[in-house]
Amino acid sequence: MTRNPKETHLLLLLTVGLCGWLIPGGGYFLLNEKKRAIIIFTTITLTFCIGLYIGSIGVIDPVGSKFPYAGQLINSPAVAIIGYHTRGGGYNVYGKPREIGQLYTGLAGMLNLLCIINAIYLAHLRRTKTTGD
Amino acid sequence: MTNVTVFIMAAFTSPENIGTDPKSMLWLLPITTAVAVVYKATKLQTITWKNFIKEVTTLIGSIAVFLIITALVLYVFAWFTTE
Repeated sequence: MTRNPKETHLLLLLTVGLCGWLIPGGGYFLLNEKKRAIIIFTTITLTFCIGLYIGSIGVIDPVGSKFPYAGQLINSPAVAIIGYHTRGGGYNVYGKPREIGQLYTGLAGMLNLLCIINAIYLAHLRRTKTTGD
Repeated sequence: MTNVTVFIMAAFTSPENIGTDPKSMLWLLPITTAVAVVYKATKLQTITWKNFIKEVTTLIGSIAVFLIITALVLYVFAWFTTE
């Protein structure tokens, strides 16, 4: 069974977006932009880890800090696993380190969102260039 | 599990000691670097290391200068309104 070209295109965009969410930079990797993917993966992962190091993994709080958690979740689904373990509030987190930790982890998520959108756009551009749609 | 692994994992379970002194503002630098690196990685058409480092350094510099100017303006404003 052959697929409609529009359907295939939509599937490619979805796959690129999903890969970018699963692993930061994964969308670019799929588009054979390896250098870009490595830079983005390293930077976003490091920023996220610095945030966790500063504020402890308690900065991921799906119960008490829902809004920052939404931003953190864009990093990767792995954040949900951390959130599952920290939802009981068993990890120390307070004051300035909490603030800075949430800022780092949230910003890492926002940067990943930028990369996901950019990778999807790049995939779309490549398709329109080759087919002329 | 080795001692090193336990030590690394333990570092992520308790917060760092960060005060509210001006030195804590230095935490802005890594985040500025992250923003500059990711932004330039998405914007540059082709990435060559030399050009990429140059572009990133320029962006980090301009963000830092903008932040310093903003801080100075706010400081002067606060000084005038509280004196």
